[in-house]
Amino acid sequence: MDPLWTNIFHKKLDEESLAYFLKHLPIFSELSPRSLATLENIVHVRNYKTNETVFEENDPGSGMYMIRSGVVKIFARDQNGMEEELARLGPGDFFGETTLTAPAPRTASARTLENTQLVGLFRADILELAERKPAISSSIFLGLTRVVSERLQAASLELRRLQNQLGEVISPENVET
Amino acid sequence: MSSVGQSPRGWTRGQVALAFLVLSAAIACGLAVYSSASSLTGLSRAAFSVLFLPLLLSLVLSFLLDPLVSQMERFCTRTGSIFIVYILTLGLFLLAALWLTPHWQEFWSNMRTDFPRYTAQVIDTLKSLMTGLHERFPMIEGYAFPTKVRIWAEQLMAAILAQTPQSAMKIGGLMVIVPLFTFFFLRDGRKIMRSCVALAPNRHFEMVRDLSYLISRQLAHFIRGRIIEAIIVGLIITAGLSLTDIRYAPMLGIFAGVTNLIPYIGPIIGMIPGILIAFVDLGAGGQFWWIVILYILIAQVLIDNFILIPVLISRVSNLHPLLVFFAIIVGGKFYGIIGMIIGVPIVSIIKITLLEIRAYRRMFRLPETALESDRPH
Repeated sequence: MDPLWTNIFHKKLDEESLAYFLKHLPIFSELSPRSLATLENIVHVRNYKTNETVFEENDPGSGMYMIRSGVVKIFARDQNGMEEELARLGPGDFFGETTLTAPAPRTASARTLENTQLVGLFRADILELAERKPAISSSIFLGLTRVVSERLQAASLELRRLQNQLGEVISPENVET
Repeated sequence: MSSVGQSPRGWTRGQVALAFLVLSAAIACGLAVYSSASSLTGLSRAAFSVLFLPLLLSLVLSFLLDPLVSQMERFCTRTGSIFIVYILTLGLFLLAALWLTPHWQEFWSNMRTDFPRYTAQVIDTLKSLMTGLHERFPMIEGYAFPTKVRIWAEQLMAAILAQTPQSAMKIGGLMVIVPLFTFFFLRDGRKIMRSCVALAPNRHFEMVRDLSYLISRQLAHFIRGRIIEAIIVGLIITAGLSLTDIRYAPMLGIFAGVTNLIPYIGPIIGMIPGILIAFVDLGAGGQFWWIVILYILIAQVLIDNFILIPVLISRVSNLHPLLVFFAIIVGGKFYGIIGMIIGVPIVSIIKITLLEIRAYRRMFRLPETALESDRPH
């Protein structure tokens, strides 16, 4: 389980390198070094200042962001325009991955809370890659699908648990007692 | 502080002197920049006019070869696949040159004797037409139309003869520069595009990246479609003309293919020399009518309009005829004949860009528009 032991037989990547960072994201953990080198060439490294908007709700969404350093706040606005924080993400987290394959408006807003470096991977880059190197792009898609499916599964389990809880709460015995 | 050393506004003499010096230096700098700017713009314009054609040709060529290179890239590195595609293209060019060179020599000597013959024949026909017209409309008698045509044709021939060595030099230069530029566009085109897109501010970066992809894909599709269309039309005209006894069939085919790049007007210009030569050499017989049918019905209506344009080029990027005329006239004004050929594609490129942006906005209904329709009443 220790990352040191899982990695000791692999060619060691420079810890500062972009490939090292990508390798340690769950989406890209299964990629070969060659695929990682290709991936390194198609992602975009962007630097954000404190309190800079990454995207707003309803913006056209076309890709995912991975946090290399810094903190990002994900929030939604209620009817009065008040911000409701949904999540606070740190280095190694990623967000926006659902729009990578299906173009859709963003469902929440994202803003940096300190100086942040984000690594963006966009649909256009992946589609371009799919024409040139189908094998590598399919392994990226496989990783993406795995992560999205895991989240979907967790979400449906959670939904069932909540439904059961709700059923218990409003079941006749509970009502009587 | 003494009142002697102060100016009315409370500045010391030293500060006034400094302000004066700074202001005069600024004015001098401004004048220097202004005067050199005019020569700078002149320089950049000269550089642009020299680089314009090779850059444009290389861009078109790299758009054309890019799918091939991308296919090859599955098996080797990008640079390697560019070399493979280059070797293949070079082989094709060599074959074409081997096939054309003996014909070219013959064509050139024939052309020198034939061109005056064709013009003389045309002028004769025009003269007889004019005499017929004069009988019906006596008032146009003073208008010497055939003479004008003769003078114009002589000038054209002289221009062609004088320009050929010059253009040979130019073509020689292009043969070196264009493959070189194309190589770097093919190899680093994506990187160049990436660094351009990277200039976009963070807030709009995502949209710029998406749009740049959509637009360049549409453009590649359009340019590839247009050129493949021109090649097929040229081949069909060549094949059709080869069935008759007409001379210069390959040249007429190439001419028809190149002019086919201009919508509406191009095909008409492309068929003029063919029909003229057919009329003079073959007379108004069965072969002449076959050539007319070939140019108009087979190449244009059947192949181009019914098959090639719907398959290769989307109807969306079609331009209004009026816009085509504007593009040709303005292009011709700026860059002569080359401007006439590239004016229309450039206007199409602008149109495709605007259409893609509109489609993109509609796909996501960008916040400005979405807010207005979604606002609770």
